[in-house]
Amino acid sequence: MIRAIARKELVQYWRDGRVVTVFGIVALLGLAATVTGWSAVSAMERERRAAVAMDREIWDTQGLKNPHTAAHFSRYAFQPTFNLAVFDPGLTDYVGNAIWLEAHYRDPAALRPVEDAVEIQRIAQLNPAWVIQVFGPLLIFILLYGAVAAERESGTLRQLLAAGMRPVSLLLGKALSAFSLTGLLVCSVLVGSAFVMGAEGIERLPDTGLRTAALAALYLVYLAIFVFLALGVSALSSRSRTALVGLMGVWIIATVLGPRIGPEVAGALAPAPSAPEFAARLDQEGADPFWGAGEEAVQRRQRVMDAALAEYGVETVEALPINYDGYLLQASEEFANGVFDTMYAELWGGYERQRAIARGFALVSPTIAAQNVSMALAGTGIHAYRHFADEAEEFRREFVLLLNQEMIDHGGADGYAYVSGNDFWRQNPDFEYPAPGIGDAVRGVWADVIILLLWLAIAIAVAALGVRRGFLGEVAA
Amino acid sequence: MRAIRKHERRALLQDRIQVVLLGLFALICLFGSIRGAQYREALEEAAAAFETEHLERAADWRARVVAVESGDVAPEDDRFAGLAMDVARPAVAAPGPLADFSHGVTDVHPFTSRVSLWRSVDRLFGNYQFQSPNEIRAGRIDVAFAVLFVMPLLMIALTFGALSRDRDSGRLGLLLSHPVSVRAVVRSKLLVRLGAVFAILVAALLAGLFIGAGGVPGGERLGRFGFWFLAASGYFAFWTGAIYWFVSLNRKSETTAMMMIGFWVLNGLVGPAVLAAAAQLIHPAPSQLAFLSTAREVSNEAYRSRADVMQGMLLDHPELTVENYTIPEYIRVSYLVNETVDRAVEPVLEEFEAVQDRRQSFLSLVQYAAPAALAMRSINEISGTDLARQVRFEGEVRDYKRAIARHVEARVLAGERLTVAEVDAVPTYTFRESGLGAVGRSVVFPVGYLFGLGLLGAALARRNLARLQTRFREA
Repeated sequence: MIRAIARKELVQYWRDGRVVTVFGIVALLGLAATVTGWSAVSAMERERRAAVAMDREIWDTQGLKNPHTAAHFSRYAFQPTFNLAVFDPGLTDYVGNAIWLEAHYRDPAALRPVEDAVEIQRIAQLNPAWVIQVFGPLLIFILLYGAVAAERESGTLRQLLAAGMRPVSLLLGKALSAFSLTGLLVCSVLVGSAFVMGAEGIERLPDTGLRTAALAALYLVYLAIFVFLALGVSALSSRSRTALVGLMGVWIIATVLGPRIGPEVAGALAPAPSAPEFAARLDQEGADPFWGAGEEAVQRRQRVMDAALAEYGVETVEALPINYDGYLLQASEEFANGVFDTMYAELWGGYERQRAIARGFALVSPTIAAQNVSMALAGTGIHAYRHFADEAEEFRREFVLLLNQEMIDHGGADGYAYVSGNDFWRQNPDFEYPAPGIGDAVRGVWADVIILLLWLAIAIAVAALGVRRGFLGEVAA
Repeated sequence: MRAIRKHERRALLQDRIQVVLLGLFALICLFGSIRGAQYREALEEAAAAFETEHLERAADWRARVVAVESGDVAPEDDRFAGLAMDVARPAVAAPGPLADFSHGVTDVHPFTSRVSLWRSVDRLFGNYQFQSPNEIRAGRIDVAFAVLFVMPLLMIALTFGALSRDRDSGRLGLLLSHPVSVRAVVRSKLLVRLGAVFAILVAALLAGLFIGAGGVPGGERLGRFGFWFLAASGYFAFWTGAIYWFVSLNRKSETTAMMMIGFWVLNGLVGPAVLAAAAQLIHPAPSQLAFLSTAREVSNEAYRSRADVMQGMLLDHPELTVENYTIPEYIRVSYLVNETVDRAVEPVLEEFEAVQDRRQSFLSLVQYAAPAALAMRSINEISGTDLARQVRFEGEVRDYKRAIARHVEARVLAGERLTVAEVDAVPTYTFRESGLGAVGRSVVFPVGYLFGLGLLGAALARRNLARLQTRFREA
């Protein structure tokens, strides 16, 4: 029976020009989004690979240079844009994709694509995930707002029930038809994305298959929420017009206003540090207490010298078997690293607090939770960005240590006049980014997954309530 | 007609949902105004703090030059006092006059720069990328958002049943059997409902004007506000015309609502997204990574061949050969390396600017297909938060660095101190907003177009309603 109803509904959708038009527009948007996503990701990857190669070449051929001077010039860590960014670019455009690994400073990721983007992109960015997140629910609401209410208005509902139709079967049949249509849309967009994701030149994220399956499951759950909500509202509404207005309200709050209001309120309640202020603090607190002229800095440097003399059992700096300038520079790095750890923990903590507050809004907008999970699975969320930034920082510290060590070990009395050559630069390692697996990726979004499941339960409850009140009322009548 | 209007007013006030929706709109506008004012204030404070700090540093630096020149400090006791390479000045673009109304692109671009000869042009803006990426991605709730996105939704919610409810309930025929014009009926309904929205819009804009100014607004702010008000009214007029036309089609309520929502989606989401994607696809920006690599490569090459660079400079300027050069060599080398980098990346930076120009020209043409995009661009320009303003600031800062370099170059290369007079003559930078006239000229056509679309919609609606009336009469 359920299958028969679903088939009848699908035939009806097919005959309804409005549905076909809307479906066609959404499918076209999905296609366009996939093509533009592929074009953007492959261009970014092409440029990144060229930049990585160039960075290595520049490093290897810098000629005679003091190792610490080289540490100031240093190298860059370039963030790969992985294949799943074709489907959901998430924060890709809003975080920088290159981190300068210079001595004495932990730089933020620079070169954010959004800085080159035209301003109207800030209204909406065309990508496959956005198409599903925003237009999937809209399509479902258009398909289902009249699922029960219109049958009631036309009197066919009473006839169906009188003929022995079980309300649950009717509801499930309609759910199945809308779900299969929108599910088809999700699957086609995902398959389309997967097809271009496999193209040559695009970096593959670990566990891509698993992530893609998880994305498919995520969006099917996401759409199921709206399917059951639509059926519930339609069954509870006396008229299809009322159902449509109610569902449009839900759509606007869930997909348009919620995702914008949540972060805004979070920003108001837990403001992130101001960028210029944070940059200035990072600059000063990492350097002044060590290199400054104040008493604290002088004492700190004295302690470093005392430690060096004690370590090598000598009385004067001149008697040290190492280059003391390099030793002092490394000590300053270690001091600054502690400051960077504290300050970046504060920065990341601020982002995290904002995210937690914004997540609260997922209780009125499942789209927020779906976006968080989708970005995490696609490797384009805040955790992926932080993972990259932390890995790059770890590498920076090791790299600067390597260069300072060269000066410490071989600089001798030459100090800053000591130079290394291309042979040494060529031995230096590259930054190789180990992207996190799916386990790491989803660790930060469990709460969002639970919220989505809660939403699904609520939506099913609304649909059940609709069956009980709407249908049984009709039966009683 | 007065009776219909009176009835409509009463019906509007008695409909709790509609009153709640109007209240919500007012609340979002108020929230946007307050948050916008906080945002602008934070930007102003950050800009002022930055400028003050760097001007103080410059003043301390000047004091050292004065001390040496006046003989209070022996030159050998402060070898680097007045070192020409150390000239550094702040360059700041304070937030636009109405940045609280529309944040535009201000949250992702730098607005301060420490202009120093130690930095090549690719590093002039330092580290500013600390904003929360989630916040940037989500966008801001400001007055512009309320006007461009929330207001049309409210207008739709209040009016989609203006005619179709009577049609659905069968009252329309009854109504038209009386000697009353359907045009007048629809007009009265829309006048009352949309009038309420417009009244809130005006009140919200005025509230925003005063909240953002923290008191009585100044002349520049008032002038810009006038244009802002016109642009917002134009957008309101455009939606009024569109709604009037949709209503006049006399379809079922849900069909009318769906068409209106569909139009909102096309205009507000799909249109801008497609136009943005098209602009970027047709006019791709040069690779930022390639730009970075070029700058590094040139810097590396210039450093590596610094002896040649120095020799070349001395061949060009033999007068700069100094016998008793006491300033470390690396300072001249740094200057020349940075200058070489500046020259090498100039064509790439020009290409970045040219691409932005081409995109802006492209969007200036195609924006008419998506009035939300058109209104947003006009509103950002009026607010002083548009991309073109940002590109101009960044270009001017680079020019400013060149101006400083020209002023002190001979001293840097000769390794001589600057005199106090020369320090005082170092150029200063002031960012100038576009004049009101220029802004007005730029937005007059787009805003006029919005009003024109509104009028067109109204004219088509009048024709439709006239036909409807005729049909009913004939029936």
